[in-house]
Amino acid sequence: MIAGADALRIGGRAPRRVVEPNDAAETAAALAAAGAAGECVVVHGGGTLQQSANPPERYDVALLTSRLDEVAAYEPRDLTIGAGAGMTLAALRRMLAQHRQMLPLDAPLPQRATIGGTLAAGWAGPRRMAYGRSRDLLIGATVALVDGTLATTGGMVVKNVTGYDLGKLYIGSHGTLGVLVRANFKLLPAPPAHRLAVSTFDAELRERVIAHASNVAVAPTALLVRDGFGALRDAQHPEEIDFRPQIVALFEGSETTVDRAVREYRSALGAAGIAETRIASDAAGEAAFQAIVDDYVAPAGDRSLTLLARGLPADAPARAQRARSAVEIDVETVTDLLTGDVVARLRAPRSLDAETLAAFGEAVRAALGRAQVLAAHDVAIDAWGGTPGTIETMRALKAQFDPAGTLAPGRFVGGI
Amino acid sequence: MSTFAARLTDALGPEVVRSEPEDLAVYAFDAYSEDRLPAAAIVPHDAREVGIAVRIAQECGEAVVPRGAGTGLCGGAVPTRGGLVVSFARMNRILEVDVRNRRARVQPGTINLDLSTAVAGHGVFYAPDPSSQKISTIGGNVGTNAGGPHCLSYGTTTNHVLGLEYVDGTGAIHRTSVDDGGYDLTGLLVGSEGTLGIVTEVDVRLTKLPEAVRVCVAAFADVESASEAVSAIIGAGIVPIALEIMDALITRAVEAHYHAGYPENAGAVLLVEIAGTHDDVAAGETVLASIAKAHGALSWRAARDQHERDALWAARKGAAGAIGRIAPNYYIQDACVPRTKLPAVMREIDEIARAHRLPVGNVFHAGDGNLHPLLIFDRRERRQVEAVVAAGTEILRTCIAMGGTISGEHGIGYEKKESLGLVFSADDLAAMGHVRDVFDPRRAFNPDKIFPAGAMCGEVGTPPVAARA
Repeated sequence: MIAGADALRIGGRAPRRVVEPNDAAETAAALAAAGAAGECVVVHGGGTLQQSANPPERYDVALLTSRLDEVAAYEPRDLTIGAGAGMTLAALRRMLAQHRQMLPLDAPLPQRATIGGTLAAGWAGPRRMAYGRSRDLLIGATVALVDGTLATTGGMVVKNVTGYDLGKLYIGSHGTLGVLVRANFKLLPAPPAHRLAVSTFDAELRERVIAHASNVAVAPTALLVRDGFGALRDAQHPEEIDFRPQIVALFEGSETTVDRAVREYRSALGAAGIAETRIASDAAGEAAFQAIVDDYVAPAGDRSLTLLARGLPADAPARAQRARSAVEIDVETVTDLLTGDVVARLRAPRSLDAETLAAFGEAVRAALGRAQVLAAHDVAIDAWGGTPGTIETMRALKAQFDPAGTLAPGRFVGGI
Repeated sequence: MSTFAARLTDALGPEVVRSEPEDLAVYAFDAYSEDRLPAAAIVPHDAREVGIAVRIAQECGEAVVPRGAGTGLCGGAVPTRGGLVVSFARMNRILEVDVRNRRARVQPGTINLDLSTAVAGHGVFYAPDPSSQKISTIGGNVGTNAGGPHCLSYGTTTNHVLGLEYVDGTGAIHRTSVDDGGYDLTGLLVGSEGTLGIVTEVDVRLTKLPEAVRVCVAAFADVESASEAVSAIIGAGIVPIALEIMDALITRAVEAHYHAGYPENAGAVLLVEIAGTHDDVAAGETVLASIAKAHGALSWRAARDQHERDALWAARKGAAGAIGRIAPNYYIQDACVPRTKLPAVMREIDEIARAHRLPVGNVFHAGDGNLHPLLIFDRRERRQVEAVVAAGTEILRTCIAMGGTISGEHGIGYEKKESLGLVFSADDLAAMGHVRDVFDPRRAFNPDKIFPAGAMCGEVGTPPVAARA
């Protein structure tokens, strides 16, 4: 399905034309043609993380990867796959599930999110301490470059130091260096059992709860404290919303191990003063966990802004606390106790205009130390909030790969 | 003393700079067969001194080659154009251990194993464990994105480096982090074999020690059936911590030296490590043993305790050294294939070695599909030297034909640079050239490494003479 031009708008800008190449060669040719015509190209996957970079300074062509959705190579017994960048994560998940395998990229909205978009946006999900992030799982890639060539890096083997590891460079580059057309991954066996443990607690217990939950023998694969973010409703009492903070732990592994993990985790939380921990098992647990990740980019109210701050796990609760108390409107947070990520969503009341929300956003960003935008709904704010010290090297890389500035100019850090 | 060496000495003092031929001899070679004396070497105390030296090298038009412990097998640390060698022998301190956040900050000269030893009391370790880990440095490991037996489950060096400090071609010092916004310069630098800059500090991830560990040994009639078992284990969706194979020649050699308890008369030995909870380890062993037996395992035995586990690993990691004691010379190859191709590729390697009338030993990270055939020869026999070179190239071509690649963990270095074109097209190499152009437009950082001659024109200094086998 070709998305409507409206769905392709970024920051109020719409493309003058849309191209939807059928394969890698057409993608490279489309880039070369646009470059020769002096047009600027923005790549679109599923559009789920388009707000996590700045709007392009110029936007002539929307290049859709939706037709680059074929699986080029999947040998389940090798535990590797080579897939087109336009394949959705949900389609990939279905295919892998048939062989009890997984690629734990954990991006929001997997029905829409594509492999290429998830990589280009540098998405790193909450299970990455257990399974690695995209940069740890990508073993090869093919990229269409503005000179019309296709450049491959890595391969289909799980260990490789043959030439530069350009896959790492393309991850998180937001389509500013080239267009990912194919990605090769190492896969993981899917754990047979899942338990999602959700407990609501009184805010004054926070420190104890975090300390006890972080100190269990069988580590969870994800461990999040949620303040707000549409606190999970009780299935028995869907009309009741509990506004107290929640701690969410995902346990994955063998049946024996997850059962033991849940038992020990419950008892650790019990010692911290939490009486009740609800457990969702297997498919229900996976769905509930996906809903939590989907929330990272979901809008709230009429106008909202979601920031992501990476940092050290040990100080994540303190950073989240600073974010919640930085401004006078509601700031919801997810504190990732394993990765150190803090996701902060500012929910504007109806009366608050976009400029004020943006100013509040900067205040929360300052409280977090450093943060990038994950989602912005009806508000405009610089997506990056500062430039790294190595920005001149990054500018030089951009100039080498895209000397004419064909690809998404202005979208990346430092105006790249 | 050359002008270059004199300038270095003026700036850094005689304590840091080496310029006499007898002092430079130790910086001329690594574990590959090439050698060349550099014009000068430095043994700096800190990044600032590295920066000063790099700037002087730039002004004098000299190449700069970083050096860890010199254990590299592909000539990556050989100063093929003379110039400056930067030795990290003095920058070997663990600067910071942050157990709560499971990170450490180390200088590049830190010995790999020293880090795990230093943090063991905190229940964590540094996962990448190349067989050379008792002597090789973390900086050198970063250069080649070193692997090791336990990388099957934990990943290679690049998966454990969270940030770097590096000196660029002008001598300026930069810091990178995988959590910074912007392009992943950390990921580019790891595995770039010293061609993009000189790493002066490394932020690494520490991994929690597992609750339980079990190391098991299975005997097989031959390498092929052991390889079938490995393919079947991975194919069944089981990824243990380590899955290693040694053939009869290697097993006999390590047993003769280490007496670790490997079955000496086996045609091949499979070494398996499982880790996790006590329950998972016990269940895992049952499943793995049954798969192994279904594929012809003649015996299966678990190490009784830590002492036995350590002995088995010490022997495995000492395999190349043990062969060195019984063979006049050997040439160790490093290639990687998809895991289903293991049995086929092992057959092919055997045939190639037979055709060239060379004894071959196989000791490899089977779970990763990462092969290390050791071709045994006598350097004094011209026919054998030629046969080794020819057989090595045939093995690489075979691996590529099976969908594999020419280096899994040792790097390309000087040895395999002319083979890079077998794996990558001119367009692929051009994209890599873009990166080199940014970091090292002068081609002064470790010239003659990774890329075939001609692909990276304009490298500084006098090119080396033709490679001797």
